[in-house]
Parts: sequence; C-alpha cells; structure tokens
Amino acid sequence: MTEQLLQLAINGLIVGTILALTGVGASLVFGIQRVANFAHGEYLTFGAYIGLIVNVYYKADLVTATIGAMAATALLALAIHFMVLKPLRSRGLVAMSLITVGLGLMLRDVVFMVAGPQIRQYAIDQTRVYDLGLVRIAPGQAVAVGVAAVVVPAVAYLLARTPIGKSMRAVADNRDLAAISGIDVDRIGTYVWILAGALAGLGGVMFAMIQGTFDPNLGYQILFLIFTSVVLGGIGNAYGALVAGVVLGMVMELSTWSGLAGGLDARMKPVLAFAALIALLLWRPQGLFGKARVL
Amino acid sequence: MLLEIRNLGKSFGGVAAVDGASFGVAEGSITALIGPNGAGKTTVFNLVSGFIRPDRGTVRFEGRDIAGARGDAVARAGLVRAFQAPRVLTRMSVLENVMLGAKDQPGERFGMSLLAPARVARRERDVQARAHEMLALIRLDHLADDYAGTLSGGQRKLLELGRALMSEPRMILLDEPMAGIAPVLGQQLLQHVQDLRARHTTVCVIEHDMDVVMSISDRVIVMDEGRVIAEGTPDEVQRDERVIEAYLGRRAPMEAK
Amino acid sequence: MDFLNPAFWTFVAVIAGIYAIMALGLYVQFSLAGLPNFGHVAFMATAAYVMAILVVRYHVPLAVASIGAIVAAVIVGLLLAGPALRLRADYLAIATIAGGEIVRYLAMNLPELTGGPIGSMGLAGPGNIAMYNQDWLALLNRLTAVLSEASGRAVSRDFTMALLVWTLAGLLMLVFRRMERSPWGRVMKAVREDETAAAAAGKNVFSFKLQALILGAIVGAISGLLLAWQIGIFSPEDFQPTLTFYAYLILILGGLNRLWAIPVGAVLFSVLFSGTRLLNFFPLSLIDSGNRAFLRLFLVGFLLVLFMALRPQGLLGNRKELLLEK
Repeated sequence: MTEQLLQLAINGLIVGTILALTGVGASLVFGIQRVANFAHGEYLTFGAYIGLIVNVYYKADLVTATIGAMAATALLALAIHFMVLKPLRSRGLVAMSLITVGLGLMLRDVVFMVAGPQIRQYAIDQTRVYDLGLVRIAPGQAVAVGVAAVVVPAVAYLLARTPIGKSMRAVADNRDLAAISGIDVDRIGTYVWILAGALAGLGGVMFAMIQGTFDPNLGYQILFLIFTSVVLGGIGNAYGALVAGVVLGMVMELSTWSGLAGGLDARMKPVLAFAALIALLLWRPQGLFGKARVL
Repeated sequence: MLLEIRNLGKSFGGVAAVDGASFGVAEGSITALIGPNGAGKTTVFNLVSGFIRPDRGTVRFEGRDIAGARGDAVARAGLVRAFQAPRVLTRMSVLENVMLGAKDQPGERFGMSLLAPARVARRERDVQARAHEMLALIRLDHLADDYAGTLSGGQRKLLELGRALMSEPRMILLDEPMAGIAPVLGQQLLQHVQDLRARHTTVCVIEHDMDVVMSISDRVIVMDEGRVIAEGTPDEVQRDERVIEAYLGRRAPMEAK
Repeated sequence: MDFLNPAFWTFVAVIAGIYAIMALGLYVQFSLAGLPNFGHVAFMATAAYVMAILVVRYHVPLAVASIGAIVAAVIVGLLLAGPALRLRADYLAIATIAGGEIVRYLAMNLPELTGGPIGSMGLAGPGNIAMYNQDWLALLNRLTAVLSEASGRAVSRDFTMALLVWTLAGLLMLVFRRMERSPWGRVMKAVREDETAAAAAGKNVFSFKLQALILGAIVGAISGLLLAWQIGIFSPEDFQPTLTFYAYLILILGGLNRLWAIPVGAVLFSVLFSGTRLLNFFPLSLIDSGNRAFLRLFLVGFLLVLFMALRPQGLLGNRKELLLEK
C-alpha cells in the first residue's frame, strides 16, 4: 500500500509539474485576455507533434526536439493572437468563446489530417523502466523530471525578478491598474503569448513523453485539467497556477490509491477534474489564492 | 414613513461604503438624498432596492422588512428604481420597453399564451394601450416602434421612468435623473417628478443640482462617508453647519483638519 | 452512394431534421434567454441512454421509457447547469461543457450501467447485442405501409422518418414562434439583453433562465431520442461536444436570432456535412475518406470562426440589429 502511495505521489508530482508549467502560461493569458481559450489544449498537441517531427523524422535528440516545439508553438500562439484573437476582442465573451472553440477544432483536425490518427511515440525506449528502489520511473518521466528541474526555476525567476516578468504578472492580475501605472499592456500581452505558447509546446512534449504514446487528441484531453489548474490557482495568478497544477496532479493520482476505500477508478480521474472545475466556478471562483472578485 | 432604513451597513473589501445609515421617507413626499461624491448614496439605493445585500441593518417598506430581498421582489412590492446610467433594452422597441414594466401579465407565465390565448391577448391589448398612454405622457410616442438603442441619454431616462411607472409603484427611487441630459428634457423630467406627487407616488431622488433639490423637495437627507449627517427641509439643511463642512471639506482638502 | 440517389438525400433529410430539433433546443437557451450552454449534447446523451437502458434492461414500453428519458435529461440539466445559471456568460460555457463531458465520461466508464465504450450494444451484457429499436421500427413500418397505400407509391421507411421528424420540427417552431411573440418571450428577451433591467422591472430573472434551461433540455432530449432511433445503435462517441457546436453553427448560419432560419441552417449544414462524403472530384479526391472526416470537422471550426468574426448576423440576418450595442 505504501509503495503504491509513493509511486502515485511521484507520478502525481511529475504530472502536476507539467500541469503547473502549462498552467502558468494559460493563467497569464486568461488573466490578460479575460476570456477562456478553448484552443489552448491544441497548442500542446501542436507542440507534441513538432517535437515528434524533430525527434523521429529529423532524428534529433529530445532536447532539440523540445526547444523546436517550444519555438514553433510560441510562433503559432503569436500568429493566432495577432490574426484572430486581438482583432476580434471586441466581439464579446460568448463570441470569443465560440471563436476559440472553432480555432481548436481547426487546429486539432489539421493535425489529424497532416499527421494521421495513428498513435505515436517519441524515440524513447518505452519498455525500459528505472527502478529506484521504492518507486519506478519510465524514461519519459525521467526526461520530464530533468526538463522540469531546469524550466521551473527559470520561469519562476523570470516572473519574480525580471522587469518583464513582473509586468506580466501585473497585467494578468489587474489589467486596468497596470495600464494606469504606465505599463504597455499590448506589448506585454505579446510577450505573454510568447511565453504561454512556449510553455504549451513544452507541456505538449512532456505530456507525450510521460504518457508514452499519444495521438492528436492529446491536447483536448488535457484542456480541462489546464482550466481547472488555472481556476484553482486564481485566474491571472501565475504563482497560484504553479502550486495549483502540482496540487491537481497529486490529487488526481492519489485519488486512485487503494487506501482511500478502494480508491477511485483510474478511468474516472478526469471526472474528478471536471467536477472540481464546476465546483470551483460555482463556489470559489477565485481558487485557492485569488482575491474574491466578482467574476 | 413609507420607507424606513435603520443602521444600514455595507462594506466592500474592508471599506465601508455605507456605515450605519438611518432615515425615513414620508409617504407622498419628494425626498432628496444629497451628499458629496462617495457618500454612499447610490449604494443605499442598491441596498434598499435589493440589488446588493446589506451586511447589517433593516429596511422597512410599508411596514415590512425587505432587507436582503432580491431586486425583482422589491420591485414587485411597489418600490421601483431608475439607474444612474439608464438601463433600457437597446435591441427592443421603445414600446416593448415600456410594456415590459407592466404588472400582472398572465402572458408572462410559461405556456399561458398557448393555453389561454384569448385572456393573454386581451391583457396584452390593455398593456399596449396603457403603454401608448405612458409614451404620450413622456412625449416619446412618436418613437414607439424605434429601437430603444437609438434614443439619446435624456430620452432613455424618460423611457426608464416610463417603464418604472407602468407598474403603478408606491415609491420610486431616482438616481441623478438630471445628470448629463439636455436642459429641455431635464425640465420635462422634473415636471414628471413633481406630477408623481399628485399621483400619490412617493419619490426619493439622489441629485447634485442644488437648485433642483431646493425647488422640488419637501425634505432633504444629507449623507457623508456612509452616514446620515443631517435631515430637514431644504432651507434648514442649507444652513446646517455640518452640511456646509461636508461639502466645503471636499472642495478644499488643503484646509487644516 | 451516388449524388443523385434519392435514398441518400432522404437520409440527409432525416439527419437535417434531427439536427434542426437539436438546434431548436439550443435556440431556446441561447438565442432566447442568452444562456451559452456548451454542454447541450448531454441532454441528447442522457435521453438516449436512459431510454435504451429502460427498454433493454427493464423491458419498459418505448413510450414510457421515452418520457422517463426526457425527465432524466431535465434532471441532469438542473443538476449540472442549474446552479451555473448565475455565472458570467463564458464561465457558464465552461461549466456546461465540463458538465457535458462528465456525462460522456460516466457513460464511457460505467460499463455495467451503460455498456461502456461499446455503447448501446453492450446493454444486454456480454455476448448479447442489445437493440432498443424494435418498437420504434415497428411503428415506422406501420406508418410507412399506411403512407404507401395512401399515395399509391412505394414509400421508404426513411421517408416516413423524415416526414415525422420534420413535422415535429415544424410543430415545435410554431409553438416557439408563439411563445417568442408573447409577453413571456418579451421577458426572455429582456433577460437576455439586460438582466438587471429585467429585475428592476419586477421580473424573476432566475426563474426565466430556469424555464429556458428546462425547455431546452426537453427539446434536446427529444432530438437525442430521435437520433438514437434513427441510427439504431450508439456509443459515447456519438455524443461528443462537437455535436453541441454543430448546433451552434446551425444557429449562427441563420443569424442566431431567427427561428425560421434554423431549418435552413440545418439543411445547409447537413448537406455540407454529408455532401463532402460524395464529392469525388478534384481537389477533394486527393483526400481519402478517413481524412475527409477530419476535413469536415475542420470546416465546422472554420465556419464557426468565420461567421462569428465576419458575419455574425449569419447568412440571413439583419445587420441593423447588430449595430446596436447591448
């Protein structure tokens, strides 16, 4: 039982860290845009597939693949921001939601058409397992841990210490206040999209790695986990998203522990996230760390 | 007293917008609520009319405590309000806007238009006729079929007033009716407000225009920093030292306190 | 199937009719009351599953099972969307799509109850193929026989179904038209445009939103039942969120607030959708049929973006109304 608990905790931590990183980007973007981007999951899918192309077809190593994915997704995010989202911002909340749904459908099905629905995997030996005594880690998970160990501190530093990072957090937290304090909201918005895109690309590659196999539905399956992390951490609160992502990842994995009256069926994990999302929106929309603002 | 509030309180994020306000509005009167910006006047209106829940205090209307009741319930009880920035339904016609205000429309109940079409149609004709009368009264009848969104600010205020009066309310709360509208329409609105007294409709009005306040109100209530600091006839209030200080204090912040 | 085969177009007509009813259910919620329910498909799924379970497992007669199915859909709607009605528009959208996904996930992962990923076929337990359709097909057959006799020609069962579905759609539209133009419709419009103004006019905003939700659930449930009867077997895959967005696209094609534009939108949508199956000429012939499914979905997304961005009044709408801000 304890072994299972430890294993679940490690899995949860790994998934949670990826959720955290993706959530930071998503939270900043939602904070600035003030509208949920239903296409965000597809940015992850896009990243995963770019990474696949670089890794499997160009036979590059995983680090290069990851960097390529991050760059490509950042570009994609920028393009969509400038061509679609920014010009149409005045359309209203529901119109924007429908537009992002449409964009998501388009992205997902372009990937389906170009890459095909087959299940894919990176050039990692899926059968090997590292046995660390009490717990086991797959190679994909190990890579993800390594990447996270580098990226998380980097992002945290960016947000905490650099002027750009501080401006990003200010705008995401309170756009009007930031504008009054002289911050160029449009320019910062652009930087935020670059960061969010890059983190989404990273997230896509990492999810693909820890899952082992993936198909174009990757992003859609994670979309609601990202929404839940963002709301849980407080929309626009970057640090909140970091914590919330890890919390969500851990809670989801640990919920299947047999010590909890048999534990939740693993297939029901997403339902947990959906239910949490609805509950949060209804009763605590500011999440764990946000200010109680009127939604 | 038709309306009586006692010790009303409401804070937003730790700041008290209304901090123990108490006053009464006599039936059949025109009572003005005045005070510097930020005194809590609009918040009091929101609390009384049910659009915000009070943290503490009582609101008695016709002897019944309505504190915490929802906005639509308060309106149905006969206490209606108009907003500072008039809320008209821009994509509906002027006539429809006014017809919306009428009470006792069986056609508004689910399915009634299918189950009792004759009764619904009869009442609808009534309401429509009354709406036209109302529009004629506020001189917007010639715009009856236009979208309300094409109306000017002043016309929208008149329209909102017309909608509110359709339900034949006991009392109406007007939030800065004269603000930002053309003088001619303003005069018209003022006339309507005074006519309300003749119709036995009690009025409580927030206004900044002192001439208006002095000329039409029976009673004046002065608020500052969330509390009532004075009340009386317009003359009494005008000479009240506390009132002068409250207004002067705002205008000359450099004065030593 | 050949382009000119009437049987194919009859089939398209049936699907178009079912989609029209689905869109009508969404119309009440979104176009009338302004509630962006992104989980509308959940009403269809709930109704289909409850009906099938009652018929297959408990041998309930079809008519009773259908009523039960509709009631179940309303209950699910009230549970999942009821509390969310007071949320801001886009958060309501998120909450409802999450709710819809909960229904789909439960359907996928509770095989003892719902047959799991296999869907309705699995309802009778392993080794049996469950069919809930017999009574419905029998009814259709009888009707078809009557029609054939009366017209003197051989009428197909699909034709009867199309007739039935479109008659129902027409009836619903007549009813909704009446309701729209009544005082009830006026209040709904006000709730959609400015809740606060509606409340200030003494209208119980929450009650009206609830009515729209319930009505939408009932009509959505009906469309789910019709779909289930038409396709004979279903699985959770048939009730993906994309179905909800087909309904939105149908509404958008007609301009979001025109009731009579819905059948036009539904027919257009179904033709586009089914038509790409058979357009075997260049450049579509470059894409194999598997990929054409993805192309269809891509087009749905594209049209959603296009219309919301460039022509929100739809194909048939009135630009004037749009120029007025809320």
